[in-house]
Amino acid sequence: MTFLTIEHLEKSFGPNRVVKDFNLSVEKGEFVSLLGPSGCGKTTVLRMVAGFEAPSAGRIAIDGADVVRLRPNQRNIGMVFQAYALFPNLTVAQNVGFGLKVKGTPRAEIAARVAEMLALIGLPDLGGRYPFQLSGGQQQRVALARALAPKPQVLLLDEPLSALDAKVRVSLRNEIRAIQRELGITTIFVTHDQEEALSMSDRVVVMHQGVADQVGTPFEIYNQPATRFVANFVGTLNILEAEVIDPSLGHVRLPGGQARLGRPLPTGRVTLAARPEMVKLGAEGRDTALQGRITEVDFLGSVIRIRADLGGAVLAFDTFNTSHARPPRVGETVQLGLNAADLLVLQD
Amino acid sequence: MKKLLAWAILLLGITYFILPLVGMTEFSLSMRRGVYSLDAYRAVLADPRFHQTFGYSVIMALLTIVFGVLLVVPTAFWVQLKMPHLRPVVEFVTLLPLVIPAIVIVFGYIRLYNTSSWLPLTGTTFGTNLLLMLGYATLSLPYMYRAVDTGLRTIDVATLTEAAQSLGAGWTTILARVILPNVLVAVLSGAFVTFAIVMGEFTMAALLNRPAFGPYLQLMGANKAYEPFALAVIAFVITWACMGLIQLVTRFSKHTKAAR
Repeated sequence: MTFLTIEHLEKSFGPNRVVKDFNLSVEKGEFVSLLGPSGCGKTTVLRMVAGFEAPSAGRIAIDGADVVRLRPNQRNIGMVFQAYALFPNLTVAQNVGFGLKVKGTPRAEIAARVAEMLALIGLPDLGGRYPFQLSGGQQQRVALARALAPKPQVLLLDEPLSALDAKVRVSLRNEIRAIQRELGITTIFVTHDQEEALSMSDRVVVMHQGVADQVGTPFEIYNQPATRFVANFVGTLNILEAEVIDPSLGHVRLPGGQARLGRPLPTGRVTLAARPEMVKLGAEGRDTALQGRITEVDFLGSVIRIRADLGGAVLAFDTFNTSHARPPRVGETVQLGLNAADLLVLQD
Repeated sequence: MKKLLAWAILLLGITYFILPLVGMTEFSLSMRRGVYSLDAYRAVLADPRFHQTFGYSVIMALLTIVFGVLLVVPTAFWVQLKMPHLRPVVEFVTLLPLVIPAIVIVFGYIRLYNTSSWLPLTGTTFGTNLLLMLGYATLSLPYMYRAVDTGLRTIDVATLTEAAQSLGAGWTTILARVILPNVLVAVLSGAFVTFAIVMGEFTMAALLNRPAFGPYLQLMGANKAYEPFALAVIAFVITWACMGLIQLVTRFSKHTKAAR
């Protein structure tokens, strides 16, 4: 059952249309990420759900009730900000209990809920500290506990991991997801980091120029990108311009060779794409072979990233490092294998 | 040579500021012929008018501070949050009391709020006191506004406000529990400056005929020899105590310490 519904949402700042006809339905307990580059409108959508921005048009409903006319403090929404936004004058416990105090919850109940929340985020002994006495990761955990304490209907996360260092980011994203699953709270997560979006979400909305380009599971977004933008933005991609030889059989001529896609294609030229992990050194066991000359070999430890010039296009691919197989040398001519089914046909 | 010149200029400056104070203090202690004594201070402190005017000015200063905080904090908060484009206009308005002399302001008040006007504030003692308090608030506006505005710039007002809103807080709660405590040091700085201004203000209190400390200082200066200097020293001590309190409050503010 749909819990959060966003219909035909629009937002303009003066002449700039920042969000254009945005639609999204989120199930109860679902974790949905809004993924996109800076300026794509993802934060604006989140802020409209929170009530900090008024939509120019459209409807936002939570549990069937239209909330567009409600003020932010009337929406029962929890929000975690990129900059933590903990109240510097309050201790950790007072921060976590702030929402409950505002609601007029009895003191004993606040204390119990604060203790529960601090235990949930793994900081049960830090209730008496001030925000300046905590690390970035701890501050963001407290911000999460503060947002969850009043039991909001929806949790909004506005790039909560962006200000943290890489190691803390990875551990905290796992913690956030575990807490979200444990509480079963409907969550919208805004990020520009594809790895975060893919690893944490039930579904991902890829946004581009104010429009939701694609909504799907992380698997669908990565393996079946609906547009050229999605394919380019999510993961690394090799773009290959191809000439269609037989549209009905999907027979194309690529730089370095030919491929039979086995599905109908438009006549003329098409843009194909291949993920680096789909390409293999040597054509053995693959139905498509392309010939190229090695131009770059980057040794990254467990993985070796190689670039090959196919004569008009560059194909990047990864191969695992094994101690008994030597990596190819720059200048060497090699055969690269891939399966035609793994080639994506991109649309604009 | 350059260093020597710098020291000479510093010494000249210190002499310029300190010498009159030393002279004034020395003279205030010279009431008894041939020896230093606190006779002038004793005489001042024994004068019932001193107690009356000092008490009156203290109460007026406290009321002015309360009014100033209630006026300036929400205004500066709103300007910063919702109307940053109006900041130059508001800053200009708050600077006007520095440009327009107090005597012009008070004549304007008297003309606007006299007994035959639409709001005859000068017709009653309470009304006149209210008018004087508003006048003091106007005079202290440049200092109070700047102090609060500077304090607000040191915190992320927009995000803290949004965080509080998302937790169910309304505007009053946000101002009272989130914004004000976080700019308290700045507000207190403004408050102490306001206190010092009110304690020494003469023009408005004299022209509105209220028993304030400023007119009492002037009265003593016109009629006595040593007591006015004792009073001036007391006034300086009050001002410096205010400055010292600003420093103390800043130092002992728990949550504004730098991150460890």
